[in-house]
Amino acid sequence: MKLLLAEDTRDLNRAVTAILKHEGFEVDSAYDGEEALSFLTAGSYDGIILDIMMPKVSGIEVLTSLRKMNDSTPVLLLTAKAEVDDRVSGLDAGADDYLTKPFAMKELLARIRSMLRRRTRYSAEELHFEGLSLRSESLELAAENSVRLSMKEFELMRLLITNPDKELSTEFILNQLWAGEPDAGADTVYLYISYLRGKLKAVDANVRIEGNRGGSFRLTKA
Amino acid sequence: MSETSIYGSHLPELNNTMNTILTEVTAVRQELTEKTGSDPVEHLLSRIKSEESMREKCRRKGLPETEHSALADIHDAIGIRVVCSFIDDVYTIRDRLTAIPGFTVVDEKDYIKKCKPNGYRSLHMILRSDNGFYAEIQLRTISMDVWAALEHHMRYKKQVNGNLPLLTSELKRCADELASTDLSMQTIRDMILEEGA
Repeated sequence: MKLLLAEDTRDLNRAVTAILKHEGFEVDSAYDGEEALSFLTAGSYDGIILDIMMPKVSGIEVLTSLRKMNDSTPVLLLTAKAEVDDRVSGLDAGADDYLTKPFAMKELLARIRSMLRRRTRYSAEELHFEGLSLRSESLELAAENSVRLSMKEFELMRLLITNPDKELSTEFILNQLWAGEPDAGADTVYLYISYLRGKLKAVDANVRIEGNRGGSFRLTKA
Repeated sequence: MSETSIYGSHLPELNNTMNTILTEVTAVRQELTEKTGSDPVEHLLSRIKSEESMREKCRRKGLPETEHSALADIHDAIGIRVVCSFIDDVYTIRDRLTAIPGFTVVDEKDYIKKCKPNGYRSLHMILRSDNGFYAEIQLRTISMDVWAALEHHMRYKKQVNGNLPLLTSELKRCADELASTDLSMQTIRDMILEEGA
């Protein structure tokens, strides 16, 4: 499981990072909102912990632009005790949970576990990328033509369309979509990628999925 | 048989024209069966439009019931339907039929690439022989064929019980799901052939 931590207080950032790593998470640490955004543009995470009060770009702004990019990765906000309005606007901007500072490390870990377990993924009814649309209510993939996807195909397409132009490793995809299914492997991911390639072609979409069996895949403009 | 056929004395030529096209389909089937080990065609239907339905079509279109209407204005005196196992087979056969010597493609509508609003999928083609006879060819996969059969049944049933808009949109959904399954089956087949190569 890979997490992004964005916290400008250096000591707190170092301490939390060390503890999360000790708990077995992979962690990228950002020290301001701008750095958090550049991590988010480059990679994908299973969960994100954002401090609201950060220099350059605030946690709320990071969250807002994340959701604007269709990214539905769970987000936990860290807020100061007095900032009720911040907590409200954070939750309204698409945060999954918040924790007020100062907090007990035990509680932070419990909230992260709960957030990852629930994976209550913030989801838009209809997702778009380069003229391609994916409708969650009907599992319909449409461009010039339309087809209905199976549940797994839909989930994979949603993962790709909410992470446009990002490299998603086979391992990350397996972890997101086939967690707890020991029989699933690189071939499973590749087969589903191949299904989607055939279907993107059939709807005459202007996008394609780059990547090879076992490697990373990326949804991009054709 | 009526003494004066709407096709005049051209019935033998219509049959010859139809047989030329069918011979080409048979040739592709044999070649692909030898190459891949499986027949690309599930079933093949052909017919010369009956006297009665040709006359009925003339009346419906407001055309006089003449040889000219039947052979020049209406283009499906000869009708051929090729039902294939896989989508790629549809296009392989299409390519071969468009290249038969002595024929030109006068019209092609690809409702697979862009389906009709009701969900209908099929590839339609009108061929014209150099001696002036037309043939309408429909190419589709088995699942497209199954869907078309049900849709036809619903459309021509005098009284459809139930909620027609709902049934229509459900049929469209089925068409899109079948199309999706067709593509998945093609992908699986490609992988099997790839692994075996």
